[in-house]
Amino acid sequence: MDDVPSILIASEPLHETVPVVELRHAGIAFDGPPVLIDVSFKVSPGETRILLGPAGVGKSVLLKLINGLLLPDTGSVLLFGEEINVMTEEELFPLRARTGMVFQEGALFDSLTVRDNVAYQLIQDNKIPDEQIDARVHEALRFVGLEHTFALFPASLSGGMRRRVAIARALIDNPDLLLYDSPTGGLDPITSTNIIELIIKQRDVHRTPSLLVTHRLQDAFTLCTHRFDPEKNAMVPLPKGTTDPNTTFLMLEEGRLIFNGSLHDLLHSENPFVREFLE
Amino acid sequence: MALTTIDRTARQIVLTVQDYSIFAWNAMLNFFRPPIYWTDFLMQSDIIGVGSLSIVVLSGISTGGVLALQSAATLSAFGAAAVTGQFVSLTMIRELGPVLTGIMVSGRNASSMASELGSMVVTEQIDAMRALGVDPLRKLVTPRIFASIFMLFFLTIVADACGIIGGGGVTVLMNHQNGTQYFNMAWEHLRGPDIVQGLLKPLFFGYILGSIGCFYGMRTTGGTQGVGRSTIQAVVTASVLIIFVDFLITHVLLTIFT
Repeated sequence: MDDVPSILIASEPLHETVPVVELRHAGIAFDGPPVLIDVSFKVSPGETRILLGPAGVGKSVLLKLINGLLLPDTGSVLLFGEEINVMTEEELFPLRARTGMVFQEGALFDSLTVRDNVAYQLIQDNKIPDEQIDARVHEALRFVGLEHTFALFPASLSGGMRRRVAIARALIDNPDLLLYDSPTGGLDPITSTNIIELIIKQRDVHRTPSLLVTHRLQDAFTLCTHRFDPEKNAMVPLPKGTTDPNTTFLMLEEGRLIFNGSLHDLLHSENPFVREFLE
Repeated sequence: MALTTIDRTARQIVLTVQDYSIFAWNAMLNFFRPPIYWTDFLMQSDIIGVGSLSIVVLSGISTGGVLALQSAATLSAFGAAAVTGQFVSLTMIRELGPVLTGIMVSGRNASSMASELGSMVVTEQIDAMRALGVDPLRKLVTPRIFASIFMLFFLTIVADACGIIGGGGVTVLMNHQNGTQYFNMAWEHLRGPDIVQGLLKPLFFGYILGSIGCFYGMRTTGGTQGVGRSTIQAVVTASVLIIFVDFLITHVLLTIFT
């Protein structure tokens, strides 16, 4: 962590005005105390936001609020400029179809093959012939390095492979927003690094805006201090002293957003909880 | 304290009934609004219909046989053993065929629906489906409900036929009565209203078992233990509702036909 210097700019930040995601004073409660209280932030086009916080603080709930899987009790959520908390479930489906989501445990359909899982959205749309679907599935699986699993069932894959298939499923229809829910949670360091590399690849190659939930600082810092090199087909560290300017941080504590800013701001935050979390 | 518990339980029951009504109504409406997932409907029809055929045949034959055994013993005391065929066919077609088939199929399929959908809920597969822009109610629930209605209708006919044949077998082989007389009595005293009653009931029972199985599956919480709980609730509720609704339908239809 001490290796991360004060921040210089690695590439120009994007300056587009309409946010892809915007939360305005959003709050939600289930049976008991509120899970999220007065949460407000934005995700701009081309931006990657990393949501940090300890387990059970409401990170996954926040992610589900963004694509309308849960609706806020207070405040509002805007997705692609549309206020989703006043929309019906049917009106939400087209918006959700523009969003790729990677769930904590992958959430693959265990009765379907990897091919059918990855192509699920395309198969349901029923607009593309099978040959084209197969080609796109191969392409998506190649992106995550799992082309050989095409005909396998999720049960025969390892935990890391399932997450990568889940990433392929989220990417296949070229989404306008990516939501990652603890994509490296519970995985070994090598597999975690592979998955982070895929996320960096997607960020740098396609510039897809994304929100990544994690409690692993190492993953968050890797995202900020690395870029994808298409020639080497691997992630490489940014020059010493630079970070990706479009990758910024959010932090939750007991349902409240206590930090919203860059890596530099995070490292120099005076908030005792942030300091404790970082240390 | 006790009043609070009663209040909370009552509120929970009312909320559950309200949730179920909205759920079942929306699932039914979906069958008349595109997209309709015909492949899923056919697949579920195969699982529910063909898969349940063996238990329906066996229970139908056994029930018809038992009816023949029991009724012949009682009827012969009044010198009316000849009407065994009529007794068995009317009882099977009007009452036991639909109810027993409904309960047997709900034991097999409402439980399977609740556990399958419940597992999908707790492993976030339902959320994943919604996140991929597919409505789980249309994709998973509606095909199951309509496959249940469609197949229970035919399974009831199979159960009725097996029951009458089973009763005939017992009448001829064990009671040593005349087979022709048995089947004549079984056929000649059947009236239109009997058949209408017998074929109307499975439509309601199919709807109950499909919607209850899916409803409890889709509202599963609490991990694998929750899946088990949902499965039990689905089977118990579906079976009790089938018996209760049978009483209501019988009462209404008897009022209409008499």
